[in-house]
Amino acid sequence: MSKPIEFKTGTLSAMSAIIRELDNVRLADTMHTMLGGLGEFFAGEATVIDLTQLTKAPERADWAGLLSLLRRYGLQPIAVRQAPEHLVESARKAGLAILSADAGRMSAERPVAAPTAPAPVAPAPEPAQASLDMPAPPTGTATMIIERPLRSGQQIYARGSDVVILGGVSNGAEIIADGSIHCYGPLRGRALAGAQGHTAARIITTCFAPELVSIAGVYRTFERGIAANLAGKPAHAVLRANAAGQQTLNIETLQLD
Amino acid sequence: MTRVIVVTSGKGGVGKTTSSASFASGLALRGFKTAVIDFDVGLRNLDLIMGCERRVVYDFVNVISGDANLHQALIKDRHCENLFVLPASQTRDKDALTEEGVEKVLNDLKHMGFDYVICDSPAGIEHGAIMALTFADEAIVVTNPEVSSIRDSDRILGILQSKSRRARDGQEPVKEHLLITRYSAKRVDEGEMLSYKDVQELLRVPLIGVIPESESVLQASNSGTPVIHTKDEDAADAYQDVVARFLGEERELRFVNFEKPGLFKRLFGG
Ligand SMILES: Nc1ncnc2c1ncn2[C@@H]1O[C@H](COP(=O)(O)OP(=O)(O)OP(=O)(O)O)[C@@H](O)[C@H]1O
Ligand SMILES: [Mg+2]
Repeated sequence: MSKPIEFKTGTLSAMSAIIRELDNVRLADTMHTMLGGLGEFFAGEATVIDLTQLTKAPERADWAGLLSLLRRYGLQPIAVRQAPEHLVESARKAGLAILSADAGRMSAERPVAAPTAPAPVAPAPEPAQASLDMPAPPTGTATMIIERPLRSGQQIYARGSDVVILGGVSNGAEIIADGSIHCYGPLRGRALAGAQGHTAARIITTCFAPELVSIAGVYRTFERGIAANLAGKPAHAVLRANAAGQQTLNIETLQLD
Repeated sequence: MTRVIVVTSGKGGVGKTTSSASFASGLALRGFKTAVIDFDVGLRNLDLIMGCERRVVYDFVNVISGDANLHQALIKDRHCENLFVLPASQTRDKDALTEEGVEKVLNDLKHMGFDYVICDSPAGIEHGAIMALTFADEAIVVTNPEVSSIRDSDRILGILQSKSRRARDGQEPVKEHLLITRYSAKRVDEGEMLSYKDVQELLRVPLIGVIPESESVLQASNSGTPVIHTKDEDAADAYQDVVARFLGEERELRFVNFEKPGLFKRLFGG
């Protein structure tokens, strides 16, 4: 007879929602702009509400509202990290696990997407030249190659590597890579390169028409349309430092012939 | 070898059942032994469109649950020699369609020497739709020229890639065909409807045909005769073309260009 219960340790990949202002109305508004008002943006990832960077703690928190807001975008909030003392009790009542700043630090904080793509077949990429101020590029993992269009509702995550997609990314599909994203065919969905903070990652496509592009967390959405000189054209998205030394997301056309 | 073809769409009311009925009839008219299965448990529409609703005794779920065998449940079509209909049941229990049950029925049809089995999928991306596409070798994705239908077709194409048996077993992927229905060349010309080229460009699936919007589709359903049997009718001819292309024949697209009648008359004196 097997035991009715067993305990094993394991690690769980989780998203961190780093919340700086605990104000649901503002959060709802910001998420709407960031995620293009797309319900179910995420795919049910376990999520830690991270309050380590909270600027000012409100007297009380509307946890129920916050949980429902996060769930609306397809996140599953499970815990809160470093909640201010006076909010701990209400968070616990709302069903959240309470984590201190370091305790329960999850092994990897990024979207957990089961790659539905075939196993990588390409040889490992040459290590890119990293300039000193950049996090090291992901190395050692062969480029992931996806030979079919990525369809609405599908999500692919190229962990620790670049991804090449032959056939395009539909509206409502999402492609995420720790390295760069190379899309041959129309890029109409969401593309997030440098998912672990690799700022030299790029998004390159033969036909630029995305809902969102993001490099190392710097993102842009296109609800109001894409500039005519870029729309449907070969283009790449790249982070470049501006005069003030800040990284800005630039989208530039590419001359392919 | 039996080929299993799912007619699917994601979105409801786009013309799956209409297309299943005419496509299956077209294959049977060409001499292929064909079965068409209604997966729309609870709604059962196919038997009405095929005009065999009065002869339904046993249905798909009866066969799966072992209450009847396939020979008892298959209804011979009124119009073609080689065509058989397996109707859906009225049961509300959608889980009655089990994967093992569906697989067994399809295997039995293979042993009975069917050339083609057409699976008329319900709308949506829930259990019934998944069951209809699980064992498909080919998929006809029915799409209307409008954004919501295209989105849903895109979604169902993704599901075909991940949930079909072929995908799960890492075999050659399900062969995809795009069928655009309820097409109005006039409205496209007036800029009120997406053109078939727009639709294809968005979905990037080979086009197997464009069926024009036509009143005779409804008349045909009401009389229980799939529209492909109607003589000198655009939608019927378009379905004939679909069958021909499916069988590897070259056919130019018809009914996609709008000719302004006024101009025609002025030039040739109507
Ligand atoms: N080419 C056409 N021209 C005009 N009407 C059409 C055409 N094709 C289908 N229709 C009409 O559209 C309606 C829906 O068609 P049908 O039942 O085949 O769609 P369906 O995709 O099977 O729907 P469901 O998702 O409910 O199963 C019917 O009234 C049918 O007569
Ligand atoms: Mg139907």
